[in-house]
Amino acid sequence: MKVVIMGCGRVGAQLATLLDAEGHLVTVLDTDTYSFRRLPSIFSGTALLGDGTDEESLKKAGIEEADAFFAITQGDNRNVMAAQIAKHIFNVPKVICRIYDPLRRELYNTLGIEAFSPTTIFAQMLKEKLED
Amino acid sequence: MEFHKILVPVSGTEADGEAMRIACRLAKKNKAKIWAVYIIAVKRSLPLDAEIESEIRKAENILDHVESVAEEQDYEVETDLLQAREVAPSIVDEAVERGADLILMGVTYKKRFGQFSLGNVVPYVLKNAPCHVILYHQPIE
Amino acid sequence: MYIIIVGGGKIGYHLAKALLDEGHEILVTEKDADISETICNELGSVCVRGDGCEAATLDEIGAGRADMLIAVTGDDEDNLVACQVAKHKFNVPRTIARISNPKNEAIFKKLGIDVTVSSTNVILESIEEEVPTHPLTHLLTIRDKGLEIVEVKILPESTTVGKSVKELSLPPESVLSLIIGKGQKPRIPTADTILQAEDRIIAVTNPESEEALRTALRGT
Repeated sequence: MKVVIMGCGRVGAQLATLLDAEGHLVTVLDTDTYSFRRLPSIFSGTALLGDGTDEESLKKAGIEEADAFFAITQGDNRNVMAAQIAKHIFNVPKVICRIYDPLRRELYNTLGIEAFSPTTIFAQMLKEKLED
Repeated sequence: MEFHKILVPVSGTEADGEAMRIACRLAKKNKAKIWAVYIIAVKRSLPLDAEIESEIRKAENILDHVESVAEEQDYEVETDLLQAREVAPSIVDEAVERGADLILMGVTYKKRFGQFSLGNVVPYVLKNAPCHVILYHQPIE
Repeated sequence: MYIIIVGGGKIGYHLAKALLDEGHEILVTEKDADISETICNELGSVCVRGDGCEAATLDEIGAGRADMLIAVTGDDEDNLVACQVAKHKFNVPRTIARISNPKNEAIFKKLGIDVTVSSTNVILESIEEEVPTHPLTHLLTIRDKGLEIVEVKILPESTTVGKSVKELSLPPESVLSLIIGKGQKPRIPTADTILQAEDRIIAVTNPESEEALRTALRGT
């Protein structure tokens, strides 16, 4: 599969590494080249300097042929915008997006964006730990 | 010190009564005018002129109370019920508009996040009032 | 009308001021505490500190009864989200987003934002007005006579190439004074002079006829 990941933070780099190891074609976008230090030396995908909310950068990252797009930068709004561009402009079949703010996540889920809130998931997980 | 127009903003705390008593005593000498005002802070989700029954009833009770305190002091006061988005700027605006030379308000001991707090009304009034301000602080029981 | 403005920067501030003057009910949301306080001090209690992209903030400031939301922060994505939350969660009838990247105009439209205002495009448009695509160069202004000397270059694709001066519909206030052809001596044009590509024509005109002169010389 061709996968584009926007945001090379801890999660982005980890995801890129996992998918790359499984033989997927991975392109990682970040607005800061310093973030790419998180990618291991064995990473065989592409690391690209660019803004995932910008159409041109997405095209350069191969969004037009991508099977999946992940928006996982630190900014909820950037993620939401990039995800919508990927889904509605480039018709990427699988678009997944991180939204920290649970209320915003709820709204975008109803708007057809597959979004996850680490806030909700982690709080829930901690609570379950207590109940174990 | 002499005062001629005294604005007494009330908020329904225990300090209201004593603040009004002090205002009456200060007023008697010059037959000063006293206004007791209660300001309903209207949430942004409602228009400014919304009539919120429960708030109005509460406000009227508070104003009735300070009016009766003034009567005990044998002094006549005017009461006003106002609506605003924010209380503090509205108090200052009223003082300016009415040409008050004193704002007299009561405060009670309050804690916020475990710390003593004056709230946000008192500091704003102290900072922005164009006239004298007297704070009556109600001691903790 | 009740209008919510997201972003209390210079644009948000002046927009709020202008709309207040027009008698609208205005509320600005601004994340920064200092900016928020300054706006309240200067314009009255019309600013609430908060993130206008958050449903909780929009709820608090009564987005449910707003007639319009205008998002004018410096970040396109924030403006997009503020408008979308307002539209889909609070049914705000009209949303306007400021955009910096002109390419986002089409994207925002597709994502359901009613109106976008691109400062970049606005500036570009004025530049195009100021600098015509078929340029005419001002050489000299004869101030007391209200005349100017200009130069117009004939392009190979100009429809006037091969035409004689008498066939041109020159504006009456203009006089062709000189033609400098490529690799030729300057000549004084007569009625029968034929225009050639790369000719540079020096003409005297009044400023009002500039446009007409340019069209007459270069065709459409």
